[in-house]
Amino acid sequence: MTNPINDESMKKNLRASIFSADGFLGNDNRSPEEIIAADEQAMKERGIELRELVKLLKSAYQIARDALGVEVNLRPGITAVFYESMGRIPSPFLGDGVFEKGEVVIIETQTGLQLVLTPLGIHLIEKYHFFQGTGCRYRIDPIVVIELLG
Amino acid sequence: MGSKKYSVQINNGERTLSAQAGGSLLSVLFKNGILVPSACGGNGRCGFCRVKITEGAPDFTDSERSIISEADRLNHVRLSCQIRIFSDIKIELPTSMFKAKRFTGILEGKSVLTSEIVGLSIRLVNPEEITFVSGQYIQLRSPMYDGREISIRAYSIASLPSDKNHIELNIRFVPNGICSTWVFQHLQVGQKINFTGPYGDFHLSESNAPAIFIAGGSGMAPFHSILRDMVKRDIRRDVTYFFGARTQTDLFYLDELNRFQRENSWFRFIPALSNEPENSDWKGERGLITDVVARHFPDCSKHEAFLCGSPGMIDSCLKVLAQGGMPKDKIYYDKFA
Repeated sequence: MTNPINDESMKKNLRASIFSADGFLGNDNRSPEEIIAADEQAMKERGIELRELVKLLKSAYQIARDALGVEVNLRPGITAVFYESMGRIPSPFLGDGVFEKGEVVIIETQTGLQLVLTPLGIHLIEKYHFFQGTGCRYRIDPIVVIELLG
Repeated sequence: MGSKKYSVQINNGERTLSAQAGGSLLSVLFKNGILVPSACGGNGRCGFCRVKITEGAPDFTDSERSIISEADRLNHVRLSCQIRIFSDIKIELPTSMFKAKRFTGILEGKSVLTSEIVGLSIRLVNPEEITFVSGQYIQLRSPMYDGREISIRAYSIASLPSDKNHIELNIRFVPNGICSTWVFQHLQVGQKINFTGPYGDFHLSESNAPAIFIAGGSGMAPFHSILRDMVKRDIRRDVTYFFGARTQTDLFYLDELNRFQRENSWFRFIPALSNEPENSDWKGERGLITDVVARHFPDCSKHEAFLCGSPGMIDSCLKVLAQGGMPKDKIYYDKFA
């Protein structure tokens, strides 16, 4: 199956728009296909299953969301806080629908290593294997996911 | 070149518009001064421009299928931007939507309410007056700045409906948020502001049942309007207002709400802090707002509830209120969804 992310008209939606201040590519000079390929390769090399990774992300997001802004310990040394935000954001890909805007910030307290999870970010990984470009606040680096949640 | 025209009948003939064949319903409504909320420029992405089409609806588009829930689709809810008109159609709109207008105002005041929330006071200049019901919201338009696109975001009105020449808003800073960054970092007193509104069905019901208000963060805004309006109109309905925050620094309007409580026997204000240091001087409630509500109202079956906050807070409140026996149709909320 062709990843719809390769569609030129879809690609332009990954740039800054009326919904996303900085877009989904950050300061990454690679194309979306190259970002996806590199992340897939990195996961393959480490034996990470996409389905398992998405499960970890969804679970962490839900645990923090249920705590309504109170810091939770996901495991020793790894905290997560949900930051509320009213409203919804549409997917950059037409037909995917809209997603809650809240975000969960996960931090490894000793190193400061951090992930910012959003429902849209998790959706982009699940449906398109797209983890977003480097330099993007919402990039969910698969290797960092495994370090923090695996 | 002449083209075929069709009729768009609204609310069983309350208004009838003429539409050129192939035009979008959203654009027909806009051209006729009916400002259905929209934040994506008619691209089928934001999901705001919902109307009910009772006759003459074309098939659902992929965008509509992905944004409108199955229950709403069965209830004939459509995205007006996705509807191309190729026959006479009949639609239903909340009458309140006929009252929405474009406004230009001048920012008269900008105050820091917490480290994350600012209060804006806007004087209306064109038109000079707004008519709204406490609980309704407007759509604020941020202009282009620093390479950012124009954006449109919804904010509840915090001020009194009787002050028709002004509105107040409480705006929370969202990291990377286009509109809130503009408000926090660029918008200056004296600057022009554009918005449309009022919108929304969230308001105090006519009932006399004791009410539970629950809010967090900028969800304070509609209740700040509703409560002051109740005092002004001498509505003495029993109200308990739970406001959830992380620490004392996240509380605002505290003095005013405490004064309200002293002056109005029907009103009780219960702020609750979920992350306040244990050794602080805070003497009020501690814990998740939902737990605090459950402690105060293990049985809320005779109450009505009004909620404003993030979808996460609202979902949690719905569970707690249901456990307390409150019927679903007695819970009113606006998720800004």
